[in-house]
Amino acid sequence: MGSLTFEGLGKSYGEVEVVRDVSLTIAEGEFVSLLGPSGCGKTTILRMVAGLVEPSRGRILIGRDDVTALPPNKRGLGLVFQSYALFPHMTVFENVAFGLRRRKVAGAELDKRVKEALGMVRLAAFGERYPRQLSGGQQQRVAIARALAPHPRVLLFDEPLSNLDAQLRDEMQIELKRLQRNLGITTLFVTHDQGEALSMSDRVGVMAKGVMQQFAAPEDIYHRPATGFVASFIGKPNRLSGSVKVREGAGGRLALGSVEIPAAHIDQPAGAKIDIVIRQEAVAIRSGIPYPGEVAGEVVLRSFSGARVQYVVRLAEGVEIVAETASHGPEAALAIGAPVGLAIDPTAVFAMPPEGATP
Amino acid sequence: MSDMSENRPGWGLTATAFTVVAFLQLPVIVVVLAAFSTTSYLTIPPQGLTLAWFGKVLSDPTYLSAIRMSLILACGSTAISLVLGVAAAYALFRKVLPGSEAVTSFLMAPLVMPAVVVGVALLQFYSMTGLRGSLIGLLLAHVVITVPYVVRSALASLSGLDLAVEEAARVLGASGFEAFRLVTLPLIAPGLVAGALFSFITSLDNVPVTIFLISASQTTLPVLIFSSVEMGIDPSVAAVSTLLILATGIVLLLAERRFGFHRFV
Amino acid sequence: MMSRRQGLLLIAPLLLVLAGFFLVPVLMLLPTSFGVYEPGAGLVKGAWSLKNYSQIVSDDYYREVIWRTLGLGFSVTLICLLLSYPLAYLIARGPERWRVPLILLVIFPMLLNLVVRSFGWIALLANRGLINNLLMQLGVIGAPVKLLFNFVGLFIGLTHIYLPFMVLMLVAAIRNVPRDVESAAATLGSSRTHVFMAVTLPLSAPGILAGSILVFVLTISALVTPRMLGGPTYQVMATLIYDEYMQLLDWPSGSALSFALTFMAVAIIWLSSRLTKRWAGMA
Repeated sequence: MGSLTFEGLGKSYGEVEVVRDVSLTIAEGEFVSLLGPSGCGKTTILRMVAGLVEPSRGRILIGRDDVTALPPNKRGLGLVFQSYALFPHMTVFENVAFGLRRRKVAGAELDKRVKEALGMVRLAAFGERYPRQLSGGQQQRVAIARALAPHPRVLLFDEPLSNLDAQLRDEMQIELKRLQRNLGITTLFVTHDQGEALSMSDRVGVMAKGVMQQFAAPEDIYHRPATGFVASFIGKPNRLSGSVKVREGAGGRLALGSVEIPAAHIDQPAGAKIDIVIRQEAVAIRSGIPYPGEVAGEVVLRSFSGARVQYVVRLAEGVEIVAETASHGPEAALAIGAPVGLAIDPTAVFAMPPEGATP
Repeated sequence: MSDMSENRPGWGLTATAFTVVAFLQLPVIVVVLAAFSTTSYLTIPPQGLTLAWFGKVLSDPTYLSAIRMSLILACGSTAISLVLGVAAAYALFRKVLPGSEAVTSFLMAPLVMPAVVVGVALLQFYSMTGLRGSLIGLLLAHVVITVPYVVRSALASLSGLDLAVEEAARVLGASGFEAFRLVTLPLIAPGLVAGALFSFITSLDNVPVTIFLISASQTTLPVLIFSSVEMGIDPSVAAVSTLLILATGIVLLLAERRFGFHRFV
Repeated sequence: MMSRRQGLLLIAPLLLVLAGFFLVPVLMLLPTSFGVYEPGAGLVKGAWSLKNYSQIVSDDYYREVIWRTLGLGFSVTLICLLLSYPLAYLIARGPERWRVPLILLVIFPMLLNLVVRSFGWIALLANRGLINNLLMQLGVIGAPVKLLFNFVGLFIGLTHIYLPFMVLMLVAAIRNVPRDVESAAATLGSSRTHVFMAVTLPLSAPGILAGSILVFVLTISALVTPRMLGGPTYQVMATLIYDEYMQLLDWPSGSALSFALTFMAVAIIWLSSRLTKRWAGMA
């Protein structure tokens, strides 16, 4: 077992820098997700930890051992691939036994360890099958058993659930989380699905264009996004063009057409053109005449999605914003054209450089 | 492959096709007939049938030593080609080398060059370096003409491979060579068998290169038959040819049964 | 994961073997081709000449041999194409259960020893061979027809040898033509023939070209079959090279001819790959 530490980790391919200066420590037994859009560098980091890609800069430590120069077969890690990468010409038993055989485990001990690993993923009876005879979910579990059998110090996942259908994915998320808790194994999980990352992890590292945007607990990522990118990537954001109307201390007021919206934190000077990012969940909708501090609007569209209801609300002059509310709440059944007041929490309003600029 | 009724080839086309197939088997049938014939010229039906020619061939030391030499060269060059060719194909597959397209073309070049040119080039080269008539010289000459088949089939097999399985093996504790031996090699084996078969046949078959390089004391089977024919038709040539036909047919059927050989041509 | 150094180590042995036993020997033919040979005396030391090359175009006999070789190349390629396409079409588009047996029947003669196959043709085409005997028995002809030691014999033999190559390449090409394109044409009102002419044939053109190039190059390079079926007097380029080296010992002339033959083969291949690249852009 061990912790996993990155010190100034970086990777460039020629001129292109795909990972820039990532430093963090994952505590022993912690479940950390790397989250971000494709191309953000999360998979590159994972592959550097596994030893499949050589870092351009920085170090990787497992526990207190510097493994940066070690080949992949000497690091004592487990890796679960997106495509499962099971050995098609070997039985399930032989697949799981592979890592153990490399460590010279044999005979009854080997048998026991393989059965134990297969038992953990509830596939104990499948030892003699071949991968092609298994469903996607079953192959996934064999891949996990194979990675776990040699008792690795750190467990790595490369988007393992993307190939599963939605329901299976939800089940596997819970199963994986439970497994990880029971084993207490340090885990690094790479995904582009934020729901997955937020629900499974102790901490989440959000990445964009090779840079670590924020590394914190899921609640902090969600409620206290550190950068504009995190704010617009997590949750369901509104992103609207506007400008800084006036600065007051750390914040000020933003102009959205003729509508003014107060924001608690603004980096840009007055007059600057910006994108205004507001989470749908941060827009509280209430039917009737707006109270002071609320913004007036009119319901244009209503969309029911099970637990939540979304409203497209027109503020004055063709500026539209999406608000969300619980489907069993008081505002769940507003009619088209109904006048509403929107209460927007100034701390949930973010001023970001316009789309196309670097986050 | 459904919708057969829409596109079913007509009778004319089928008849032409089968005629061509029959045409392809024609000399084979003739040779086999001649091997059993009592006369040294051929008639339909044959004048008489005998096994005498087979007996003559199998007891003739010249034929036997030629067969031995052909087999040594075929086995040896195929083995060497497999080792060198698979290693080279693997290096190309991993894309760690610059100019891999040019390199691949170079590895295939012996297929493009007229075999007779390779033959005379090696004749001159071996005469200058004293390798003429040597076994190692012949062996390496055969490697040159057979290795492109191995490289081609290895590259084709490797291209269908998911690199992730090798990476999985590495992370699980296998060294580079172990990962290759335990995972990659078994997965590309069927394609390699096809390449090895072509390589073996090419060596066994070869005249244009071999004929320039053999010495008087040791010749190969095809060169022997080639020279014998220049001196006139003798049914013992037909007999040894029939033995070759038999061997080839058996090997082909085995390769098809075991590896589905027809997929690789 | 694999370093450049490891990659180089893996490929180096083969590169060395090919460099030493292929590239260098072939290159060393070049100086020889400029040498001067004196019959009976051997290679004249230090003498250089372009005669070996110039005689290829100026000497009547050489010209005749070259034209014959090229003529064989074109005619064999053409007839292989015409005979192979129906068979290839049947294999590619015909009943599923015929496919493997047909392919095996095509591969089998291809795997067979070249000398054996040529020998079979001698038995068939000789004056006292099977065909002549049969025709005389049936009373179709009175005296044997000369089918060996001439263009006809070589033509038949070479066609037989290289047919399988053409068939296999055409099968691959036809299989690459998407069936739904053909179905689309059919539903738009095309007759079977028209579908073939307008869709299948053009789309299999790259394969036709590839197969033709292969057969052409193999035919002009052939040694064994022309020698066996043509005898020592009816020459093609490869057999001429063989005689110049082994009988006449005129290595300079043989080398020059070798380069001429190689040049032809390489030029055709290069030209066709340019053509294929252009077509691939249009396909």
